[in-house]
Amino acid sequence: MSESATVLEVRAMTRRFGGLVAVNNVSFNVAQGEIFGLIGPNGAGKTTLFNLITGLIPPSDGKLLYLGEDLTNRPPYKIAARGIARTFQNIRLFGELSALRNVMIAQHIHTRSNVLTGVFGLPRARREEAISRRKSIELLDLVGLLDRADEKAINFSYGDQRRLEIARALALEPSLLLLDEPAAGMNSNEKHELSEFIRRIRERFNLTVLLIEHHVPLVMGLCDRIAVLHFGQMIALGDPANVRNDPAVIEAYLGDE
Amino acid sequence: MTDFFNTYGNLMVLMVFNAMLGLSLYLPLMAGQLSLASPGFYALGGYIGAVFSTKVFQSSDGAFPVSYVLLEMLVGGLASGVLAIVVGIPALRLRGIYLALATIAFVEILRVLSLNLTITGGAIGIFGIPQPFNRPLKYLYIAGPLLLFSMFFMYRLERIRAGRALTAIREDELAAGAMGINPTYYKVLAFTLGAILAGMVGALSAHFLNTWNARQGTFDASITYLTFALIGGSRTFVGPVVGAMLLTALPELLRFLGGIDQLPQSVRDLFLNGRLIIFGLLIVLGTIFFPQGIITPRLWERRRRTKAVRPAESNL
Repeated sequence: MSESATVLEVRAMTRRFGGLVAVNNVSFNVAQGEIFGLIGPNGAGKTTLFNLITGLIPPSDGKLLYLGEDLTNRPPYKIAARGIARTFQNIRLFGELSALRNVMIAQHIHTRSNVLTGVFGLPRARREEAISRRKSIELLDLVGLLDRADEKAINFSYGDQRRLEIARALALEPSLLLLDEPAAGMNSNEKHELSEFIRRIRERFNLTVLLIEHHVPLVMGLCDRIAVLHFGQMIALGDPANVRNDPAVIEAYLGDE
Repeated sequence: MTDFFNTYGNLMVLMVFNAMLGLSLYLPLMAGQLSLASPGFYALGGYIGAVFSTKVFQSSDGAFPVSYVLLEMLVGGLASGVLAIVVGIPALRLRGIYLALATIAFVEILRVLSLNLTITGGAIGIFGIPQPFNRPLKYLYIAGPLLLFSMFFMYRLERIRAGRALTAIREDELAAGAMGINPTYYKVLAFTLGAILAGMVGALSAHFLNTWNARQGTFDASITYLTFALIGGSRTFVGPVVGAMLLTALPELLRFLGGIDQLPQSVRDLFLNGRLIIFGLLIVLGTIFFPQGIITPRLWERRRRTKAVRPAESNL
């Protein structure tokens, strides 16, 4: 895996909120096809780092390179259009809209029709509409929610909402997928299924995956490499076996005696 | 029947005008943006119509040419659209109630400007705007198709990519951005489309009302148009159209009810003189019992539902 091309390069990324340094001088590379885990105790800055990568908040310092292109300080929609999709820790679906609509919305960048061609239903816009509908249906089928395509997202169970968020993120046809605690609230059986699912979509869509997760067994079993954050700083980076035995990591998680 | 049209011709034209003004407020609302700027664009369109027809086109005797009216509407719509882009880009950075306040200020600025400029006739306004039609009802020849076209436009808009982007922004602007949608672009787009419609209606309305002054398109109107959407429903374009028509017709309906001799005098008095009380009461009751408005998409969605989607054709 280590010989593959670098997809994402986070360089000396820093984010301050007033006096608090939420992310402090964090650097790492993510290689093509990798499943890269980001772990750390609560408040370690994991989600902040995700928000920095997807442009939801600008960094105080540092650089973000994606496939060699500098994406620092780009607005979120431009970063998404480059092929970085994400899910949210506190699910952010379009609650009042149907599951199908949620997924179709994320086809936005892969369709070109504007207000006029769309309103008058010109052939090209119609074709696009049919294609994006079909793709969305396929994705709903993939996450097992096809039967409920017309239901409002807000009526879905927690686990189903997480699945729908993944389908929506995949509709962007990303090459880098960021999953923020995808297994939160799942039982161990579901967590196991989720690991399998993430592996499957990586193969099928040729994805690179960056994920935040608390559940250590899942992360250890699934990820190729893991970075550990603690109070905004990266205290370890390596393959699961090495990280597990790193004294700094053990101290961060268990405290020192 | 002819009597009916003669008596209610004015009202019917107003209902159609107001339906379009309701739509112009609904457009930014589709993207979750509470903009009260429509009356400002309506006023601008009206002044353009009034100035053109009284000062630019020297009207000869007889009816004012309809083609000139259409031209004024085009200019009014375009001018409103350009102004909307200029105002919208900075203003739509604001959210919620702050955007509402900024747009109220915008309407107010236009009103004060029109009170003080010579071209708008100052406080007196512009008089004797020529009529293209000999009867009020004939304004429907222009207003009717325009309303039908805007409704068709909205119907389609709610079903295409651009409409989906707007609803995505309404539901969660941040998530919409993370899905590759440029929120600023779509917010300004919806705001501009609404402004164009309001500007066109304004230009036509100037002829219809015969006079145009700073009392057209004020803060009161902002609230009235908002009520159209609130009572009618803000989840589908049908809502503001129905809301506008009902609320515009309501005073006439009350006048009719107040004229029924069999009713007790006190009830008739309430209908005849307590129109504002009933209006307020309806708004309060409406927001309690129909928080999403009278018309919600659920009314017809239930029928469509079961013919659900199956990936039969998804082998490609």
